[in-house]
Amino acid sequence: MAGHGRRIWPVQGDPLRHNPSRAATPRPTQPGFERFMWYFTRISGLLLVLLALGHMLIMHVLVQLTGQEINFAFVTSRWGSPFWRIYDLLLLVLALIHGVNGARIIIGDYVVRGGLRGLLIGLLMVMTLIWLLTGVFVIATFDPNGAPAAGPFS
Amino acid sequence: MTRRPIFAYRISWSQLAWLGHRLSGIGVLVYLFMHIVENATLALGPDVYNVTQTFFRNLPVRLGEIVLMAALVYHSLNGLRVIAMDFWPSTTVWYRPLTYGVIIATALAMIPLGLIMITPYAPWGGR
Repeated sequence: MAGHGRRIWPVQGDPLRHNPSRAATPRPTQPGFERFMWYFTRISGLLLVLLALGHMLIMHVLVQLTGQEINFAFVTSRWGSPFWRIYDLLLLVLALIHGVNGARIIIGDYVVRGGLRGLLIGLLMVMTLIWLLTGVFVIATFDPNGAPAAGPFS
Repeated sequence: MTRRPIFAYRISWSQLAWLGHRLSGIGVLVYLFMHIVENATLALGPDVYNVTQTFFRNLPVRLGEIVLMAALVYHSLNGLRVIAMDFWPSTTVWYRPLTYGVIIATALAMIPLGLIMITPYAPWGGR
């Protein structure tokens, strides 16, 4: 649409400092939080390709193909193994931080007003902390009652 | 206030790939927040957890899970493309075939995955 010209985004000053958006910016060189999250997103993304897709393939495809059902007994035998507990903890922490950081970038892209942006990102951070602690608590404190491992994914 | 136009000009596949990456990411994140709540019922014991699990054994939820799988497959493959182009800028020469490849690979992967996942609710599955 005419009128916009090339200026589709009000970048004022250094976009790396004043806007969390990574859209149309090259690999960051300036040290700091934004550069850390840029690398974190990509490295955690590589791990999540294996962790998240593996989790989805097991829970939503292989469980069904092997005629199992996800219930308390399934979780008990699964989390009886430290491997799957660590797997799920790693998946939870990486996926939540990766996803919430992405949501923060998107808020920064579309909410221009500094105050509203800060409020939304602040709410997101508070919510994330509560959800992260809940998720870690559930995985870490789940009591398997010494149930024997059973089934191919336990 | 200046707004970033989304469809103010003819959109290209590479822009749709970017939009799809954001939408699939937000979708998976919303699911993750719900998933943590649903999993928290594990702390309330087997009776509560087994009842909450029955809420998720129906066709609408299964269709949602298939969309979730497609979103995750797309986000993973497109993310790998973005990482490749970030760290090896020379690969941006191939951005168009790579983007098409991501979309085609997602669609191809979803044929067996979607068929397997819908089977319990399909006429041929018989639950």
